Amino acid sequence: MFTQNFKKALSLLLVLVLMTFMLAGCAEAKETPTASAENNTNASNEPATASDEVITLKIYAQYADEDTKVPYDYAIEELAKVYPNVKLELDIQAQDDGQKLQSYAATGNLPDIFQIGAAQIETFKESGNILVLDDYVKSTGFGDKVFQSAQNLLWNKDGHAYAFPYAGNELVLIYYNKALFKQYNVKVPETYEELETAIHTFNENDIVPLAAFAKEKWITTSLFDVFATRLEPQGIKKLDSGEGKATEEAFVKAAERLHHLVEIGLLADGATNMNYDQAAALFYEGKAAMFINGQWEIAASTEKLGDTVDWMFYPTFSENQDAKMAFAGGGSAGGYAVSPYSEHQDLAAEVAAFLSEKYCEAKHLYRANPLLAVKIDPSLEPVNPYPPMMERLSEVLPDITSTTAFAWGLSNPQFKVLIEDQSQFLLTPDYSAEEFITEMNKSLERIHGQ
Amino acid sequence: MKRYFANKKAIAVFVAPALLLFLIMVFYPLTQMFVKSFYAWNGLSTGKFIGLDNYIRLFDDTVFQTSIKNGLIFSLFITVFQISIATVLAIAVSNIKIKGRNFFRIAYFLPVVLSITVVCQLWLSVFNSEYGMLNRLFELLHMDYAQDWLSDRHKSIYVIAFVNAWQYMGYHFALLLAGIKSIPKDYYEAAQIDGASTVEAHRKVTLPLLSETYKFCLILSVTGGLNAFTNMYIMTGGGPGTSTYTLTYMMYSSAFRAYEYGYGMSAAAFLVIECLIATLVINKLVARERITY
Repeated sequence: MFTQNFKKALSLLLVLVLMTFMLAGCAEAKETPTASAENNTNASNEPATASDEVITLKIYAQYADEDTKVPYDYAIEELAKVYPNVKLELDIQAQDDGQKLQSYAATGNLPDIFQIGAAQIETFKESGNILVLDDYVKSTGFGDKVFQSAQNLLWNKDGHAYAFPYAGNELVLIYYNKALFKQYNVKVPETYEELETAIHTFNENDIVPLAAFAKEKWITTSLFDVFATRLEPQGIKKLDSGEGKATEEAFVKAAERLHHLVEIGLLADGATNMNYDQAAALFYEGKAAMFINGQWEIAASTEKLGDTVDWMFYPTFSENQDAKMAFAGGGSAGGYAVSPYSEHQDLAAEVAAFLSEKYCEAKHLYRANPLLAVKIDPSLEPVNPYPPMMERLSEVLPDITSTTAFAWGLSNPQFKVLIEDQSQFLLTPDYSAEEFITEMNKSLERIHGQ
Repeated sequence: MKRYFANKKAIAVFVAPALLLFLIMVFYPLTQMFVKSFYAWNGLSTGKFIGLDNYIRLFDDTVFQTSIKNGLIFSLFITVFQISIATVLAIAVSNIKIKGRNFFRIAYFLPVVLSITVVCQLWLSVFNSEYGMLNRLFELLHMDYAQDWLSDRHKSIYVIAFVNAWQYMGYHFALLLAGIKSIPKDYYEAAQIDGASTVEAHRKVTLPLLSETYKFCLILSVTGGLNAFTNMYIMTGGGPGTSTYTLTYMMYSSAFRAYEYGYGMSAAAFLVIECLIATLVINKLVARERITY
């Protein structure tokens, strides 16, 4: 009798526990507060910090190196002057493909302000975990300050603003060691054929033609994109949006030619297992003739190599000689976003806009970076003059005809993973361009339903 | 003791906390994983029930095929490497004639207590194509074996498996050594009287009597191999391309990089079933009878 009762009680307990957790798991996402998403139309022009009460806002932001610490520290200093009663509690962003932020969102613990990339915005949008900032863009005057060329960074493809951007349309650059090119009498390649010749010459002299930290998959994506832009100015962005197919001539040729260059020795041995420090060391020590990275590398390369370093235009393909001003890289709708669950939503939005603006100032003042999203006070002079490479880039900027996107700026997370993995594969000699195209095409058909 | 086992309330009280923890920490997540594998879910929103679509997609996915193959290679490699070397070393260290047995016992076990990150970084520098010790050694010996150890889509999985096998061999060594020590000396004396050599004595006495320990070692290494993740995460990031993906890595990539949690869960569900089958098969085939001395 006891055994039967005991079994019944135990079974009941088990069922109750399971039911509780099942229901908890299947529960709908937290209801988005009324001020969030499309409902949020009442952003006030009044300062959100009227009282003397000190308000603490949690912020999730990058704070890892000089490029992220300097702008943050500067912005915080400036914030203290304008918003003396606002205190920011920094939670340093992990380099984890957004996992930590995703966990915060899933557990209802989003910080008031957080940095977010394009792909994650899409996920957050669907689940109501990001505040629509359209009205704050107007009320804070942020929209008026954004460069015309950077409007794509503020406005999402659905027409709404979800984050206040600070980085402008940044670019992928191929740096080269002028001294090595001169020593081996190699012409700075302007065409694909000249690049082939340069690779042969450098290999004959035990110089790595191009150093790439290809263990990081975003740089392999960018390298493929450099080749894709030779025939298709939109580059990988066209595939990301679903407007293009991997079987198009631009992508097929890009894959075939990049793979051919890899086969003839474009990269160092074991490039796909090389990190930034290893690849940069090859370039800085004069063991590699070229180096691929974003334009933010200008400061470090100038410091290490002085005036022996410069950047080159990407070599063109014979089919399209006009692609010289088409650049890989670019920006995407991302930056400082605000949680729709923040207790101080209006203030958080104001502060987020303020921080983005001050980031731009800091980048101009201390990081010699003219690629900004927001116009800054023209009277602000950089602490150090721009390095010659940056001066040259600044001169070229107005003539750039098109940009694409970095891997983190791609809006479709599935495509991002696909191109990252496949572009790294392409840099190994025993993975053919045909395999690349077949795999890309098959997956793109699924992703975009082509 | 009999009275204690007759007290059902006492059993319930003692078992309940562990049972509850098991339900919360293991059973519930497993159930959720299977449930979510039938959904198109980005990890945040409610998700949409799509039936078997995730599973149908799995079987058409080349990454899934690579992951399965890598899991099997990894399992087989570490199982053979760890158990065979651990057996030889355990038998050697159990021999009282061997000098410095304590030193070897500690030395073989040492990699187990090292952080996996440290071990991976150590071997990354050994296998580095440009500056790595291994390629330099081949160069020094004028041997033409230098290669891209971790950038070769076909070889890198073996290299990663080797690192894992090297680190955890000591664990199996400790288990087998403990097993050998528990075998009564009489058995060896009897074998000696019957004229068996040392090798024969180990073949006929030690190995058969270690079958239960082998079963445990096999389950650990086979399921550990199928589950492998950390080594490839640190050493290759699943690359080059997807060539060192395992099912766990595939689940991670689908869920946390592509935000396809439902699809990731279907890979995880397959992994759970795979590990379950492996465990059942090992239990069925190895040491079916309990050994008592």
